[in-house]
Amino acid sequence: MTGSKTGVIFDIRELTIHDGPGLRTTVFLKGCPLGCAWCHNPEGMTRTPQVLHNPNGDRLAGREYRSAELANLLNRQAPLLREGGVSFSGGEPLLQAAFLAEVIDQLDGVHVVLGTSGFAPEAEFRSVVSRCDLVLFDLKLIDPVAHRRWTGVDNGPIHRNLALLAATAIPYIIRVPLVPGVTDTDANLRAMARLVRALPRTPRVELLPYNRAAGGKYAACGLTWQPGFDETTPWKADLAPFHELSLEVSIL
Amino acid sequence: MSNPVEPRTPNQGMAPDLPALPPRLAEMKRRIRAGEHHVLRTTETIDVLSECEAEQLTWPQRVARLTRRMCEAQEVVIDPDERIAFTRTVRRVPPIYSDAAMRELLAGRTVHELGPINNICADWGMVLGQGLLARRDTALATRERMAGDPAAVQFLDGALETLDAVLALARRYAERARACARPDLADLLERVPAHPAATFHQALQALRLCHAVLWMSGHYHCGLGRFDQYLWPYLRADLAAGRLTEADAEALLAEFFIALNKDSDLYPGIQQGDNGQSLMLGGRRRDGSDGVNPLTAMVLRVACAVALIDPKINLRVDRDTSLELLATAVQLTRLGLGFPQWCNDEVIIPGLLGAGYQLEDARDYSVAACWEFIIPGRGMEVVNIGAVSMPSAVDQAIRAALANGEPFARILDRVAADLTAQVTVLAEANRRLLLPPAPYYSVLMDGCLESGRDLSQGLAYNNSGIHGAASSSAADALAAVQTLVYETHQFTPARLLAALDSNFADDAPLRQALRESAPKVGNHDDRADAWLAQLFELFADACHAAGSNGRGGRFRPGSGSAMYYVWLARGHDGMCEPAIGATADGRRQGDFFSSSLAPSPDTAVRGPISVLQSFAKINYRRICNGGPLTMELADSLFHGAEAVEKVALFIRAFILSGCQQLQLNTLNVDTLRDAQRHPELHRNLVVRVWGWSGYFCELDAAYQNQIIGRHVYGS
Repeated sequence: MTGSKTGVIFDIRELTIHDGPGLRTTVFLKGCPLGCAWCHNPEGMTRTPQVLHNPNGDRLAGREYRSAELANLLNRQAPLLREGGVSFSGGEPLLQAAFLAEVIDQLDGVHVVLGTSGFAPEAEFRSVVSRCDLVLFDLKLIDPVAHRRWTGVDNGPIHRNLALLAATAIPYIIRVPLVPGVTDTDANLRAMARLVRALPRTPRVELLPYNRAAGGKYAACGLTWQPGFDETTPWKADLAPFHELSLEVSIL
Repeated sequence: MSNPVEPRTPNQGMAPDLPALPPRLAEMKRRIRAGEHHVLRTTETIDVLSECEAEQLTWPQRVARLTRRMCEAQEVVIDPDERIAFTRTVRRVPPIYSDAAMRELLAGRTVHELGPINNICADWGMVLGQGLLARRDTALATRERMAGDPAAVQFLDGALETLDAVLALARRYAERARACARPDLADLLERVPAHPAATFHQALQALRLCHAVLWMSGHYHCGLGRFDQYLWPYLRADLAAGRLTEADAEALLAEFFIALNKDSDLYPGIQQGDNGQSLMLGGRRRDGSDGVNPLTAMVLRVACAVALIDPKINLRVDRDTSLELLATAVQLTRLGLGFPQWCNDEVIIPGLLGAGYQLEDARDYSVAACWEFIIPGRGMEVVNIGAVSMPSAVDQAIRAALANGEPFARILDRVAADLTAQVTVLAEANRRLLLPPAPYYSVLMDGCLESGRDLSQGLAYNNSGIHGAASSSAADALAAVQTLVYETHQFTPARLLAALDSNFADDAPLRQALRESAPKVGNHDDRADAWLAQLFELFADACHAAGSNGRGGRFRPGSGSAMYYVWLARGHDGMCEPAIGATADGRRQGDFFSSSLAPSPDTAVRGPISVLQSFAKINYRRICNGGPLTMELADSLFHGAEAVEKVALFIRAFILSGCQQLQLNTLNVDTLRDAQRHPELHRNLVVRVWGWSGYFCELDAAYQNQIIGRHVYGS
């Protein structure tokens, strides 16, 4: 039955700033196959609802929605989101690809943005992005070894999905988290710029500065914050590698 | 994946394009904030009462004499740095009646607040355009025409006395300026306010003086009206003639704004900063065309540069308002001064029409001190005669119905009856209202000199405003009882009643369920929002049924709270509204209510879009006394280049939502907490309190804490 699939959402936020153009509501889908050392949403890592233990009390992160229920909630906001729309983020939203596709199919003319790591089976990736109006595609590290070390997964599927996306007509933007000493190195940014330059329909690049507030949520999730890099190092945003290849780049 | 990596912004995000004050004005601002001009104030209070008694003056004569003596007592202060002159040197407004005589005068009657006419707005465009000599001629002509009408003659003689007093004060300023080798100021003050202003500079000087004399006459909450509408013709002519550059104009405007902050400490208000020096920008002209002009954006830019609590800025918007203007205004929001306050013409103009205003007047609305809609020059409205406590009405009804085993529908009947009773108390007191004569304010109004009638005798609009306060808590209580007691039967009436009586001392699980399992206003959830809308319908019915206010007006229901979010929660000396204990929304006794329209503190709310949608369900055609939807934004939301545009788009969504008025405040809760611990480090920290902005550290702790407890979006 349409609308019967269920998914787990850990937050719905309105008036989000960095999740696409215009006035947006962002849905955060729970669960992520990656384990990025700098992850800002540790409550989005696991697939199932969990209790967060905050100093001022416990809070349940994650609630199951039927796709029709979530779509209805978003459709009710749609009249005010005409100059913007809805964004899906996470976690990794493609971990719940079938649910997400069903939600999007039930939206009434709402502009849809997907924020993704790109790490997903090809069919599921195709299925969801084909339903979106804009994809914010994360690139973190180009070197496969470094990628595996810092995110826990191989970046081969990510690069293959990026190529798939670039071959469609769907607008897309490359997003790069600037992690001090990890992703913001000259070598990584140059490799990234070369990769982006080689893509069809050359996308814009947006750099996201590192935010030191990342560690705060880990204790609430029962995790230990051990980033493995020196987060006190000031982030740097060297735009030269992108400019040298005539790429459009900005800092968010 | 990496959603919102919140950016740190070392090189951007902190308003790089905001104008800075030129050094002369930065120094002027510093001196005024430091209160250096206070040494110019005289310490003694002038004695007006003795001569009033000796000459056995009537009330209108006494009020006129007060204005005259206050003007005469003013020392002339020519500050070498000022291009717009006037510094108040007489600290206190003296009494014109002894306490005993005042009591006798008021036997059986009531006065509004402190007494003197307040919270209205002069027809500044008319005053600047005519000049006081022309007003004088009008008064003389009417006096001749109405020579056989003693009351008119007495009123006009008083008006003339005040006119002559202001003219004499301006003359003394001009003479001193001449003697001090300030021919520029001397020329200015020989021209205005006597004659029609011919330039932007003259208009600002005339406004500064005429406005200051209102305060000196004991009036307060003296509004500035549709500032960009009445001043733009002067600026436009100056720019066209090449007499003034845009930078000069901005400097004059900045100086005028800084000057408005000189005497905040002398103005009466519930808290420091509650002074009603509000101005309106934008909106439709009287003929329905778009009134936005280059001065609209200039005022917003200059207010950013000045960054003081006065003037409080309001901006009228509709779906045709350009995104560019909205973004310029959002730059001001971002500073955290708590303005502009946004007024939705698409909702307010039809609401005023429904309340009996003429179309041209409805298009010409401004706000009183805080948010109530008034027509400059044409309204002798008393916009805030009190508030009905919606939580109290609901609480009484719930307790009675549960105790008697009544069905849910009976609660609503009881709420309606309680609201009616509360309105009736306010209405009856208001019908005994005695408005004191105000000869000088009448000079500045439309038609008083022409008709020989003081404004206290009535103007075109004479309504009385009542606010429906703390509505979301009341609606949440109804929703909680409906859901948890009547529908799911999770709790028995007896258990809820016991918990309310004990302030939830022995029943934490019940309180938690009321807080967390029941629907709440602010989530676009009809199960709660329907009660919000219904409460305002019942309130509107009650105001309608109250009929005439005895002054040729009616009772206008609104949605503001003013200080009632503290008073109704905790009680206050002299308050006639009912105080309240613990409530069925899970609120403990003494916990604050939310400000005007906002979700109840400490409830789960999805975000600002849902909040808009919840509060759009109120029928503002019937609730048209103002009172804004109030939201706080985290200052961190403004990091990043796109944030200003996003918030501007949010304003668009507000317009489309059908909400009436919006108050957006930018704050940082950690900074506020730090300011409580170290006030000396945060002297200039400004917050919006209710319909006004003030210095956080000058507020009583209750008001500080209420702000800290608000919902903050985007953090």
